[in-house]
Amino acid sequence: MLKGIGASQGYGIGRAVIIDDTPLDYSGVRYTTPDGEKARLDRAVEDFTKETAQQIAALKDSAGEKEALILEGHLTMLQDPFMLSQMKENIDGGSVAEAAADAVCNMFIDMFSGVEDEMMRQRASDIKDIRDSLLKLLLGVNSVAIEKVPAGSILVAKDFTPSMTSRINKENVAAIVTEIGGVTSHSAILARAMEIPAALSVPDATRVIRDGDELVVDGFKGEVFPTPDESLKADYAARQEKYLKDKAALAAFFDKPAKTKSGVVKQVYGNIGKAQDVENVLQNGGEGIGLFRTEFLFMDRDTAPTEEEQFEAYAAVARAMGEREVIIRTLDIGGDKAIDYLSIEKEENPFLGHRAIRYCLDHEELFKTQLRALLRAAACGNVKIMLPLVTTVDEIRAAKALLAVCRAELEKEGKPFKDAPVGVMIETPSAALISDLMAKEAAFFSIGTNDLTGYTMAVDRGNAKVKGLYDVFQPSVLRAIEMTIKNAGAAGIPVGMCGEAAADPRLIPSLVEWGLDEFSVTPTSILQTKKNICDCE
Amino acid sequence: MVSKDFTIVNKQGLHMRPVQDFVKAMMKYSSEITIKFNGKDVNGKSIMLIMAACIKYGAQITVVCNGADEEAMLAEAAAMIESGFGED
Repeated sequence: MLKGIGASQGYGIGRAVIIDDTPLDYSGVRYTTPDGEKARLDRAVEDFTKETAQQIAALKDSAGEKEALILEGHLTMLQDPFMLSQMKENIDGGSVAEAAADAVCNMFIDMFSGVEDEMMRQRASDIKDIRDSLLKLLLGVNSVAIEKVPAGSILVAKDFTPSMTSRINKENVAAIVTEIGGVTSHSAILARAMEIPAALSVPDATRVIRDGDELVVDGFKGEVFPTPDESLKADYAARQEKYLKDKAALAAFFDKPAKTKSGVVKQVYGNIGKAQDVENVLQNGGEGIGLFRTEFLFMDRDTAPTEEEQFEAYAAVARAMGEREVIIRTLDIGGDKAIDYLSIEKEENPFLGHRAIRYCLDHEELFKTQLRALLRAAACGNVKIMLPLVTTVDEIRAAKALLAVCRAELEKEGKPFKDAPVGVMIETPSAALISDLMAKEAAFFSIGTNDLTGYTMAVDRGNAKVKGLYDVFQPSVLRAIEMTIKNAGAAGIPVGMCGEAAADPRLIPSLVEWGLDEFSVTPTSILQTKKNICDCE
Repeated sequence: MVSKDFTIVNKQGLHMRPVQDFVKAMMKYSSEITIKFNGKDVNGKSIMLIMAACIKYGAQITVVCNGADEEAMLAEAAAMIESGFGED
């Protein structure tokens, strides 16, 4: 068995087609004249431009606009005057057009491969693609006919360039295997868009696997089984059948409400950490965002994000969701998350320390910047503000007072904004025990079961010796949840849950019975959760 | 030769679009333009070279123009960089 990274779900069984990137050999090409070589180069660039434009059109049909943008980027890059003039300079220096294109592209490939920024490193594979296309055009080489592989083919390559993936006919490709690339690579994105199982970063795949070999590919685990026996093939065929059946069954819940057998409708939302994750929620039939963690906006940088930056991120999600609810949690940081510029002191017990709402209320400027951005984003959709780690009613009042100051400021500055309801994340025993009092100040509750379990049981889930006690089914945790839901019901405010437990099929019937209104889960669990709720009485 | 120091103010840094606009504007001038960043000299007329330099939000750069129309070139470069290339 060969082990790589599972990059696109599903199981594939078929015959290997090795996509050999034969070295494009131009050693036999004779130099004509400087003008002759330049004319050949210009013609190749012209042909490349035409072909790429066609591929862009094809991609827009098969895998969506986003992927086509990658190829549009190729066109822009090849228009770099420095790049073309550098190639022509090399021609003047005695290089044939092929050598000139090769050398200049390779220089850029080296340059981009070395940078730290992952997005920029991806440019290296773009330029490889441009280089290979130019060389093929100059040499008149026909590329492997990826578009013509027979049904049941498993494509095995070092890597798939965007132009290669654009030629894949997904009806005939059972799986994709590559030697390089991770879950965010071009190949992975396209494989998922086309719903083709993929195992990437499988070492030496193109050498170990031979053309025509039978293969089984597990796109979940990234495993590849060369020359499988009949029982292994039957096993994986059954798994694939079940996977497709389950997927189709769940797909039926995409635009169905989560309605119990007795007719009560629940909301099923998605949890996100970055603005772009909103796409996953929509693709999985999410009816709202139950938790938008804002910490990621503050991480991996040297200064706090500005009001404008935050506004853009929050507004993007609000706009994408339209009328649907978007619950945004204010900054939830503490001594356990190192954000250098916030200069949070090292603490003996960071989980019981100066964190989340406590830290924010003591750093008014930082908090106000976020609240202002949230109020402005609220004008772009249906935004609600959620406060993390609240333990006293006064904390809600203090946050609301600060919010009033922000509203007055925005009013004065003439900036568009909308008031947003303020809710509380119930994730401490204190909050659960006084949830009846909290309900008088909060517009809604959302139960964060991960921390609620940890704080209630006084257990660190990362500590192997005690993690057995970390269990949402402990009666104390269940009571805290039940009490919170019932107090919300008595006060007439909506209550949701955004911890992992919201997707737990064993817990869902109780949550429904107690009266939980909204279940917010990871995007890939949305459909299953809808189904589980529909199965409830 | 004229030069000026800048801090990159647009949050996406020098990615494809701003670099494209910048290079197009700089091509109008006969002078040479060099962006000094992180101890390196980058040709200010090349999209690819500038992108490869990975100049991000908050980066400190020095722009050096050298040639017959260096003053006008630096003035336009300054206007573009300081305005964040029309981005946030």
